[in-house]
Amino acid sequence: MPPLTSPLRDTIRRILHNRSAVIGLIMISILILVALLADVIATHPPNQSMLDVPGEAVPGVRLPTKPPCIGLLGCPDPQHFMGLDLNGRDVFSRIVHGTRVSLLVGVSVVAFSVTVGTLIGLVAGFFGGWVDDLLMRSMDVLLAFPSLLLAIAIVTAAGPGLQNALLAIGIVSLPIYARLTRASVLSAKEMEYVIAGRAIGAGPLRLMFLNILPNVLTPLIVQATLGIGTAVIETAGLSFLGLGQQPPDPEWGQMLSESRAYVFTAPHMVFFPGIAITFCVLGFNLLGDGLRDALDPRLRGVT
Amino acid sequence: MSRFLIRRLLSSLPVMVGILLITFVIIRGIRGDPCRAILGERATQESCERFNERNGLNKSVPEQFAIYVGRFVTGDLGDSFRLGKPVTEILAERLPVTAELALSALVFATLFGVPLGIISAYRHNSTVDVGTMLGANIGISMPVFWLGLMLSYLFAVILKDTPFVLPPSGRLSPGMNPAPYYEVWGWVKDGEVAPQLWVFLGRFTIANGLITGNWPLFWDAVRHIILPAVTVSTIPLAIIARMTRSSLLEALNQDYVRTARAKGLSERRVVFQHAFRNALLPVVTIIGLSFGLLFSGAVLTETVFSLTGVGRTLFEAITARDYNVVQAVTIVSAFAFVLINLAVDLVYGLLDPRIRLN
Repeated sequence: MPPLTSPLRDTIRRILHNRSAVIGLIMISILILVALLADVIATHPPNQSMLDVPGEAVPGVRLPTKPPCIGLLGCPDPQHFMGLDLNGRDVFSRIVHGTRVSLLVGVSVVAFSVTVGTLIGLVAGFFGGWVDDLLMRSMDVLLAFPSLLLAIAIVTAAGPGLQNALLAIGIVSLPIYARLTRASVLSAKEMEYVIAGRAIGAGPLRLMFLNILPNVLTPLIVQATLGIGTAVIETAGLSFLGLGQQPPDPEWGQMLSESRAYVFTAPHMVFFPGIAITFCVLGFNLLGDGLRDALDPRLRGVT
Repeated sequence: MSRFLIRRLLSSLPVMVGILLITFVIIRGIRGDPCRAILGERATQESCERFNERNGLNKSVPEQFAIYVGRFVTGDLGDSFRLGKPVTEILAERLPVTAELALSALVFATLFGVPLGIISAYRHNSTVDVGTMLGANIGISMPVFWLGLMLSYLFAVILKDTPFVLPPSGRLSPGMNPAPYYEVWGWVKDGEVAPQLWVFLGRFTIANGLITGNWPLFWDAVRHIILPAVTVSTIPLAIIARMTRSSLLEALNQDYVRTARAKGLSERRVVFQHAFRNALLPVVTIIGLSFGLLFSGAVLTETVFSLTGVGRTLFEAITARDYNVVQAVTIVSAFAFVLINLAVDLVYGLLDPRIRLN
């Protein structure tokens, strides 16, 4: 007899057999570990300036030009793994602590836009008519603006800062989830199980949340995973323009913004935060692609 | 055909008015008034009142909108509060910079993305395929502004003494004289003011260098556009390559491809005339949609490469509450989006004879 498999176990097996999903999972696990253990991994407090530490600063030498000392390449003093930044702070420690911000950013933006967007799509698709028109046309208007510019306008309206940047990016990414949910709801609505539910007198809330929603979750999970990467990159963009995280707390985009004027003299200050962003976004993109292939064969190959 | 064009342009009017209205309201909802943003935090109540009166900001928002639309129809986009110049003049100067950047990026992305996608699909699971898809994945995961900074470091510092050195910022080298065609050809005498449309066209530096035969100018302009264009094009390139690959893969598995092979057609004809032509529709769609990405990318890229294009101008105008500039740039980019989508629809008609434009 073949071993019994539950749908859940079957799904997990399919995900674990997908190369890009596994690589993505590993990359994200590394990031989560780094974020959790930031205090242990970081060699220095992220906001501590070496200018204040006796014996560290060399008088008359501008700190940012101090080249990165990489222990692996035979550097005798691997204390500052990725060098120091403009204010004499340890770049490696700042990147490690920035991991927390970026993961938090990605997850909270997506949590917001998935919840609100799904609700909008669910209501629009379920009720149809003028409700549908009103909700979806307002989503179209959001889509009509280039997303970064709309986000810039929202942050400027609400005032610069990480929270407002998150809100802006959350709002800008609503339409994707609303459209995705609505499209799935429209087809699910006509299925026998929903009609049966209606026939036994289930109310609209029960139909929407218990009967329809579970069946439209797959594309949402895939899109949400990809959305985390997008959110991280867009927040970094806003911070780069000075609209996101404000100094001194470390955030990757803001680190780039601070150091971009020194790219020709101290490129290490620009190089490492960018690598961190790419690594994080790549992790979520690979996982998202892998999930799409594993969970929903119909969506395979759609970019 | 022309009826189709006119109808499409007319049907986009409500969207454009909607976008204008929303921008109008949003920008006025931004905290902080333009007076304080431009005259400074310590501007007196009186000078602010005078500022508001001069710029018509003392009226109610619906009134302001009516006046704005009334002027808009006559081609008057108002003045920039910050720069004290007509907005049309600013657009004529700066729009070509962004347009050249976006077009070069789109050309670059298409020229590399489509062939990479074709090779990846044809040699499915080969090294080229895996490499391209990995590269595409990394490409869409990179922050464009960071890539821009790294490229400028690579080409301006590391490759400094090689023939590959490229300028890291600006549109032209200092001292380069971008003599516009209307001066070269004597259409405008010294001291005369050229029509704004001529100025606008003359600001397309690469084209201007080309038509006036000014090779140093042409070459300088091209060298300055390479790094920003490559930077902006990464994400569209990755998306185009992926879309071409998946769309062609699907087409290559169709029965008509097997039939074509069975007839003994050459591989080249099978791939290009049968499969590729049918795979092109989604690719063309995605190229059109990339335009929005290009514009978002332009804001960050223009910041990195110190280009005074409309992306950077829009960002500065939003932070300075320069209402007229924000409105004008938004409406122009929306209009460009409409035009690009129109072009995409026209290409559909060419590619697939089943699609009738009427």
